[in-house]
Amino acid sequence: MKTYGTKLKKLTSAIYPIAFGVLIFIMWQTQLLHKLLNTDVYILPLPSRIAEIISDNSSKIMENVISTVEVAIPGLILGSVLGYLIAIIAALFKTYGSGGLTVISAFNAVPIVALAPVITNWTKDVSPEASVRSFAAKVIVVTIMCTASMSVNAYRGLTELKPFSEDLMKSYACGKGKTLLKLRLPNSVPYIFTALRVSVPSSVISTLVAEYFAEYITGVGRQIRENILTAQYATAWAYIVVACLIGIIMYILLILAESIFLKNRRQVLSIK
Amino acid sequence: MKKTKKAIAAILALTMVMAGLTACNSSDKKESSSSASSASGSSSANMTNEERIVAAAKEGKVGNWGLGNEYEIQALLTKYGQSTDYLSQSFDMDGFDDDSITLASAMTYNELGLVVNDYEGGYGYGDKVGTIDMNDEGVAMLEDNIFCTKEFAEKNPNTVKAFISASLKGWQYACEHTDEAAQIVFEAGSSVSSDHQAYMAAEVAKVVTTDTKGGAVSDYGNMDEEAMQQTLDLAKQYIKLDDSSAADKLSSMTLDDVRDTSYWEAAKNGDFGTPEKTDVSIQLKWLPQCQFMGYYVAAAKGYYDEVGLNVNIVPGGGDIGETTAVNNGTVDFGVTWVSNLISADAGGMDLLEIAQVYQRSAIVLVYKK
Repeated sequence: MKTYGTKLKKLTSAIYPIAFGVLIFIMWQTQLLHKLLNTDVYILPLPSRIAEIISDNSSKIMENVISTVEVAIPGLILGSVLGYLIAIIAALFKTYGSGGLTVISAFNAVPIVALAPVITNWTKDVSPEASVRSFAAKVIVVTIMCTASMSVNAYRGLTELKPFSEDLMKSYACGKGKTLLKLRLPNSVPYIFTALRVSVPSSVISTLVAEYFAEYITGVGRQIRENILTAQYATAWAYIVVACLIGIIMYILLILAESIFLKNRRQVLSIK
Repeated sequence: MKKTKKAIAAILALTMVMAGLTACNSSDKKESSSSASSASGSSSANMTNEERIVAAAKEGKVGNWGLGNEYEIQALLTKYGQSTDYLSQSFDMDGFDDDSITLASAMTYNELGLVVNDYEGGYGYGDKVGTIDMNDEGVAMLEDNIFCTKEFAEKNPNTVKAFISASLKGWQYACEHTDEAAQIVFEAGSSVSSDHQAYMAAEVAKVVTTDTKGGAVSDYGNMDEEAMQQTLDLAKQYIKLDDSSAADKLSSMTLDDVRDTSYWEAAKNGDFGTPEKTDVSIQLKWLPQCQFMGYYVAAAKGYYDEVGLNVNIVPGGGDIGETTAVNNGTVDFGVTWVSNLISADAGGMDLLEIAQVYQRSAIVLVYKK
């Protein structure tokens, strides 16, 4: 009976947002939304028209999607690894560590629109090939944006331990290295996912913005800007929808990975 | 023990930072020397335009801002059998300066002045640079015009005629007195230095009073049939629209869909009554500068007051789309390039050109000799 109740609760908690989404969608297609927002089908084209453009241009859109994802994922991985390494160093040398992290997290406050052109200029000498140096510039921007959230969260995971667990390790005569390996690293795993929940969407956003300023013209973000400035709103919306899909799919993949990793972990802990 | 560890950590961090910095530095030097050598290899003094264009295109070093400014460059690349790809150029000329772009787009009245002149903000290349002119190459497309929506023109014909008349009077005065015009714009809130403003006024006057073939134009705002048709033909060829219905509309577009000469004719003859709407605004395509001196002069000299209009000049810049602003009624008139108006109309807007201020293309490709 109890399980039935929780299942029902889960179901309703999913139904409400979905119903809301469907409602918005219906309002959009029937132009009720346009009346509410005081706009027209020119600025906010109907979903059917957007879908038509996406299906008409699927191969061109796919090219741009690949070029965007090719930047977002390496940037996300690099930034996360770098952030985690910084967190480990900070956790090992706590006196400097927490102060250092404050500086790192200040990077989070740097607007991407300011950072992207600076990095584009800075990477001019990376390669004579424009596609290569633009790729480098974009990856660096994404890396910087993803580093901060990982380092701050992972630092918490590495330092906020269960009461007495650190003392327990000491009583086993474990050194710093062993404590890190056996206690701190496992303790930080859920925090890694907390960080990724922030940095996965932000990796997509920073890629889109970095594409605005890149020398080599490619990617979903650049297409959005080109089409808005040449007043092709329907096409721009097609790319906006595609950009949303990239973000949503990457987020779903993350949630799946999280459920797999943390599920095993919970079982291991409960057996112990 | 603890203290030594801390010290080691600090030293380690410092060396990492230093290593990072020196690594960037060394790659910097290596690459810049190699790019310098490649630049000197490709740009000998007596190359023809064709050789220059082909060489730069093969290297992938032709630059343009994109975002609807690229069609003439693409037409030129096609003329010489090259692919229409180009590098995205930022709004400064640093890419040209550091040789990552060897054939850079420049407006004669703006970027070219910064490259050539040595006043504040200029690069001071002087006569060490040469240019390739779109008009001479036969790929010129007309740029700054005056436009409004078809609906606005139908509802307020006298306002439209009065606005054209006063604005063109402003343009005429500005072109005949460029130094004074530059001063008026500078005082109205300039985005650039007064030296550059004076340069710009003189160059803009040339574009307003010379046609694509180099002949003098006395009819300010004239919509030359041949130049307009060439603009439309090139637009049809090089504006690529993913939206199939917009692409269809573009391919079947005629000049009558995008411009109406009757308002300009009437304005020229002073044949208009009391304006229906007296408080009007004009959206500029870019920041306040002498590119738009005619409107500032018309306002400062009271030409708008003479025809009974109260005009608000709205600067553009960044990602403000002048076509969108006019189409949704935020402003009444706008300044845009003919090609941008064409693609906006293809996309579903209902915009109408009512006067063509710039009579020839002001884009050049600039190269180091």
